[in-house]
Amino acid sequence: MEGALKTFTIPNELCRRAGVIGTWLPINEIGIFPSQPVKTSSSDTVSPYGPSDASVYNVRQQVILFEPILRKLLNEANGTFLSVQELMASNLPDYKSELLKLSRQYRSIIRACLENLQDEAVCDKTNYKEELQNYITIFYSVECIWHLCEILFVENIPGGVVLPHLLEWVRFHFPKYERNAATLLREDTIGIELQPYYWETVIGSLMQGRIELVQALLQLHSSADGKPFQLAIQALREMPLYNIYGGVSISEFNLKWKHWVSDTQSTIDAKMFTSERYLNLIMRLSVGEETAWNDVQAQREPWYAFLAASLFFREPTVKAFELGQLARQCIARVKGGVHMRHLDHVLLAAMELDLIQVIKEIQQMSENGWFVSHLTDLLYHCGRLEALQSDDTNLMGGRLRECFLLDYGTLLMGHNSLWQVGLNYLDHCPTEGLSTIKLLLARLPLKSEARTHKIIREAHKRDMPQIIQSICKVQAMNSARNGRMGNALTWALKSQDGAFTSLMADKFLLHYKGSGILLNEDLLDNLGSSVLISDRLIFLGKYFEFHKEYRLKNYKEAANILISLLASKLTPKYFWDTLLCDAIDLLENNVMVISSTYTFELLRYLEEKCDLPELKDKVGLIRLGAARNLSRALLYEIQYDKKDA
Amino acid sequence: MFEAQEVNAEHKDLIHDVAYDFYGERMATCSSDQYVKVWDQGSDGKWSLTSSWKAHSGSVWKVTWAHPEFGQVLATCSFDRTAAVWEELVGETPGPGERGTRHWVRRTNLVDSRTSVTDVKFGPRTQGLQLATCSADGVIRIYEAPDVMNLSQWTLQHEIQCKLSCSCLTWNPSLSKNHPLMLAVGSDDNNLTAGGKVFIYEYSDNIRRWIKTDTLSSVTDPVHDIAFSPNLGRSFHLLAIATKDVRIISLAPIPDNANTQSGLNKLDIQTAAQFDDHGCMVWRVCWNITGTILASSGDDGCVRMFKMNYINAWKPVAVLKGDGSHITNEGHRSSVSSAASLPTPPMAAVVSQTARYIKLGTISQSREAPWH
Repeated sequence: MEGALKTFTIPNELCRRAGVIGTWLPINEIGIFPSQPVKTSSSDTVSPYGPSDASVYNVRQQVILFEPILRKLLNEANGTFLSVQELMASNLPDYKSELLKLSRQYRSIIRACLENLQDEAVCDKTNYKEELQNYITIFYSVECIWHLCEILFVENIPGGVVLPHLLEWVRFHFPKYERNAATLLREDTIGIELQPYYWETVIGSLMQGRIELVQALLQLHSSADGKPFQLAIQALREMPLYNIYGGVSISEFNLKWKHWVSDTQSTIDAKMFTSERYLNLIMRLSVGEETAWNDVQAQREPWYAFLAASLFFREPTVKAFELGQLARQCIARVKGGVHMRHLDHVLLAAMELDLIQVIKEIQQMSENGWFVSHLTDLLYHCGRLEALQSDDTNLMGGRLRECFLLDYGTLLMGHNSLWQVGLNYLDHCPTEGLSTIKLLLARLPLKSEARTHKIIREAHKRDMPQIIQSICKVQAMNSARNGRMGNALTWALKSQDGAFTSLMADKFLLHYKGSGILLNEDLLDNLGSSVLISDRLIFLGKYFEFHKEYRLKNYKEAANILISLLASKLTPKYFWDTLLCDAIDLLENNVMVISSTYTFELLRYLEEKCDLPELKDKVGLIRLGAARNLSRALLYEIQYDKKDA
Repeated sequence: MFEAQEVNAEHKDLIHDVAYDFYGERMATCSSDQYVKVWDQGSDGKWSLTSSWKAHSGSVWKVTWAHPEFGQVLATCSFDRTAAVWEELVGETPGPGERGTRHWVRRTNLVDSRTSVTDVKFGPRTQGLQLATCSADGVIRIYEAPDVMNLSQWTLQHEIQCKLSCSCLTWNPSLSKNHPLMLAVGSDDNNLTAGGKVFIYEYSDNIRRWIKTDTLSSVTDPVHDIAFSPNLGRSFHLLAIATKDVRIISLAPIPDNANTQSGLNKLDIQTAAQFDDHGCMVWRVCWNITGTILASSGDDGCVRMFKMNYINAWKPVAVLKGDGSHITNEGHRSSVSSAASLPTPPMAAVVSQTARYIKLGTISQSREAPWH
């Protein structure tokens, strides 16, 4: 096990001597620091390493996907991913062909990305070029594997005859011969065979199964009118090509093929081509002569190109399930056990139709799970993961897909601006997606109000009231800490948490008590029905109204509000003295504004609260005011009653 | 591959604990030098020291952040027999668009313990501001701030006697109707015959008391750290334990089996995984945010990571190790990240010495579900 695990070293001597401890930090980082364990029984002494220069290492995974140049790949793939999910949700009967289209869409995204990378790599003169080259290698492999997987697992090949697709695959990834042939044909010069790459191109085209192209090229040869060439062109023209739609059964085709081989062989044996060395080679290759094939092996670098070529001439009707064995033979022949690259392993596994192995291998590619998550998702929807060896097949496949999507989504959530893309992936994880979103969404740093609103919107979409509440409370707390009380109250209101809003309202009241200034009057004036969330806020709102009326010199209204506040049972303990002192002004007002009944009531509250220490020196004053007001109120009311009577 | 940013902690001795805030933007460190330091990450990704103060008159063992809903609040515990709660205040002079000066004030000093306080943790957010401490003489204390706006008032709500000396504690973050408040406490008592070293406590709403619902009898070796996994909506809880090996224990409440008096369900306890990869004492366990990767630290000087794969089996996935001897011979500095422009190159490539040359094809099952 030990040998199989990746070990990463922290370049720090103290870390080695003392040992390290790791602590995770949101979202995808780990902090590593040198530390020495302590036991509860150990005494408090200086460690043998002190005094020392301890450092904390914040370790994170290097994510190439976060490179700006790959941003397009990321976003476009996300679009296609969503199309796949939409397609599967739509229950379309013909979904398989649609999936194939989407698979091609993925490939074209990779292709576009590769081209982009290549352009950049050409222009770039800095160290970054090397990185770009790395990316090109990675994504080239991705494209190559994706294409093969598409042929073997996504495409529904009639009759299972994969060869034409394989040839297409090889042609696509080794376009050199086609390009060269096009140049040769375009030039159409005399003495074309003097071009250094003429024969190479002819043989190359032959190996990719482009028989017509070979004929065309041979026609251009300056001795094309000679007998050997004419014979060769003739033979190639008559070469039977297998086509599933050709109406020819396999056995019939095989018979035809045998005829053609024996005919051509006899022409070769008659030494008709010996005057032209290459032509002879071509014909010997066509009939599958062992020695000839051994000769060309050297120039066919990758085994899979060679495999396609040899299948074309020997097993044109090969079925997908036979590929693995043939591929192994081919590797043994070409490589002779020479070191296989990673790409070779993946391609071999794919040809052996060993999906688990393919998925296992492609995780090793250093593109941070982009490839494996998208491909696994696609294969899952194609029903390919159901074939995994397990009792509970469908479940396992789905779980495998979800694991990759979870990892990929979490990775993106860790990025400052890609978190919304990450959400899209987590949304499609049926079992743990939502809980993961809950854990991660709350952890996104609330860097600006705009970003916070965005996060809240996403939480809202997914019906996560608790997350929203928590975010609002954090924002309120931050605003309050920075002295922006109005903002704090707004956020507290958004949190819909009564108790918490009360705490914020308390801050307003306490501030008023201390300074005599009510903060953010605009806001208080416009609270409307939102005050109902908390008693304390209702009190604050009413108290503000009292101030407003008082300032407008509507003393009567102000007095009414004040008395109703006293009676409301909403008054916080610490605010009684303020409220009662506010009454003095009204009691002593030039015009009588508090009726006798209200004055009695006021006195009752005063008697209830007169033990409050902060009220001590004011009790007398209030009583005096109350008494005087009571006298004029009673007088007035008697007169008023008389008038009425 | 990985990359790392080095932050010189400027402590005069080894660091005992590093805690990151809820968002991973702030870092608190504590050390034997009795200081606590707070670091903030700037928008350029660089960490800088913003506060440093002598917090205790003994080694500071642990430091932990409260949820930001309660403001910027830290708790520390120390050899000096106290735990303390700290709050960061912003000065009264905030200019336009500018933050005022900040400083940390001690809001309270919890002096109930008669011995070294070995761990301190804030309770789940939804329960208000609760704080649990445990001490070397085996007492667990639960404090509460009834008014979250006034952190100088803490009341000792519960005192639980645990017969063995306590080294670590963890709150279960999963809270719902079906899951009452739950705490797990570990003991590093050396006496193997003293029985299980991990205790599970649950709070019974019925009788308003904490009740020991279980002792993990399978863990008899000293326990140094313990951590509940984040809640992923599962019906069971996962508990990681650092003892002579790394354990992952699953605790599943058995439905319809509630104790009539306390109303608490019995737990079905299973060992989900056990790793002796460290080959020696394990000192620390830590879950990542989504509970998918467990990091453990042991006497072998390694931080090891374990991940659950798609068939719910835990597998080791990566190892981090300190080694100063490779600093000079590494030719892989190319993986230095973009922040390399900082003054003293704080970004050092964490070079994978083994990884580079590993034949990927030979890697066994363990790569099934690798590090993302």
